Amino acid sequence: MTPDDGRLAALFRGGADDASHALAKWLGRPASLSVERLDTLPIADAAAVMGSSDALICGCAMRIDGAIGGLLLLTSADDAGLSLADTLLERPTGTSTAWGDLEQSAVIETANIVGCAYLNAICDALGPAGAAGILPSPPVFLRDFPAAIMEAVLMEQPVLSEIVLLARTEFRIDGTPVGCGLLFLPDAASLAALLPSAIDPGTGT
Amino acid sequence: MTPADLPPSPGRPGDAVAIGQIGVARGGGVLRTFVGSCVGLVLHARHEGAAGLAHVMLPSSNGNGSPPGKYADTAVIETLRLLRDAVGEPTLSCTAKLVGGAAMFAFHSGMPIGEQNVLALEKILGELGIPITGRLCGGRHGRRLAVDVVTGVVTVETAGQGTETLA
Repeated sequence: MTPDDGRLAALFRGGADDASHALAKWLGRPASLSVERLDTLPIADAAAVMGSSDALICGCAMRIDGAIGGLLLLTSADDAGLSLADTLLERPTGTSTAWGDLEQSAVIETANIVGCAYLNAICDALGPAGAAGILPSPPVFLRDFPAAIMEAVLMEQPVLSEIVLLARTEFRIDGTPVGCGLLFLPDAASLAALLPSAIDPGTGT
Repeated sequence: MTPADLPPSPGRPGDAVAIGQIGVARGGGVLRTFVGSCVGLVLHARHEGAAGLAHVMLPSSNGNGSPPGKYADTAVIETLRLLRDAVGEPTLSCTAKLVGGAAMFAFHSGMPIGEQNVLALEKILGELGIPITGRLCGGRHGRRLAVDVVTGVVTVETAGQGTETLA
C-alpha cells in the first residue's frame, strides 16, 4: 500500500486546503499548509520521524475523538514558534524570546483553529462516515525532546498497533516555509475507517 | 572475568535503542535512548562489564510479547537472556535502573501509562530478585538517557531541567 497516492492523499490535501484558509484568516496574511508526508510506518520508525536532535522543540497536542480519532500535534522549533507568536501578537519578529503565557496561548490557539479546520474538512470528505464530526480536547502545550514528544504521541493511541499512519503538513506564510507543521496520527479505529474510504476497490491502492 | 578480559561487543553500542527495542553491549560503549511515558529499563552486570537497555512501552504483553522489548513482562526476561548470551554465562548477577514513565499529556483520567509501566517493571524485577539501584521516573517531561556499559552509570537529561547521574 502506498498511501502517498490516490484518494487518501487527496483527503489530507483537502484538509490542508481548508486549514490554509483558516490559518490565513487567523494570521491576517497569505498563509497555507501543504501535505509533506503521508506514510505508513512501523512504530519504531515512526518514533524517529521528528529526528533525534537534542534541541528542544515546542508542540501543542490535541486528543481527537469522534468520527476520526487520534492525536493532532502542532510542532515547531523554538525560534519558528516564537516568530509565529510574534506574528499573531502583532509584534516585530524577534520580540518573543521565551515561552511565556502569552506566547504559549498564541500557538495553542493556532493549533486549535488550524487543526480543527484540517480535521473537520477530512470528516466532511468522508461523507456519512464522518458525519459525527470531531471532538477535540483542549490543546496542551509542551516543550521537549522531539523523540520524546513523538513517543508520547504514539503512546496516546488507545490501541497500539505495530503500523501507524502519519500525516505531516508544513506551514507557509507569505509563501515561505516557517518551520511549523501539523502532525496527525489517526488511532487504529480511524485508520481502519480512513484507509478503506481511500482505497480504490478496483486497484487496491 | 573482568570487563578488560572481554572483547568489544558485536552490537552497536552508541546507537540509540528504538522504541520497543532492546540493546545489549559489553566491554565498552554507551547505550542511548529517549523516553517520555515509556521507561528505559537498564540491567547491568557489573562483574562482566555488560549492560542491556530496553525501551518499554506497555506494562503487559497479555500473551503477545512481540517485540519483547515493548512490554514490561517480556522485556525484563528478554534483556536478561540477551545479557547472558552476550557474556556467555548461564547465570548473572544484575542490578536495575529505571528512567522515564512521565505523563507528558494529561488527556485521560486514571493512572497514567508511564506510571503503570514503572509499577509493572518494579513488580517483575522484585519477583526475580533484581535490585533497583537507581530510578528517575514520573514528572511531565521526556528524558534522554545514556548508559555506560562498563560502569552502569546512567546519565539522564530531563527536558528543560538539567542533567542527573544514576551511579
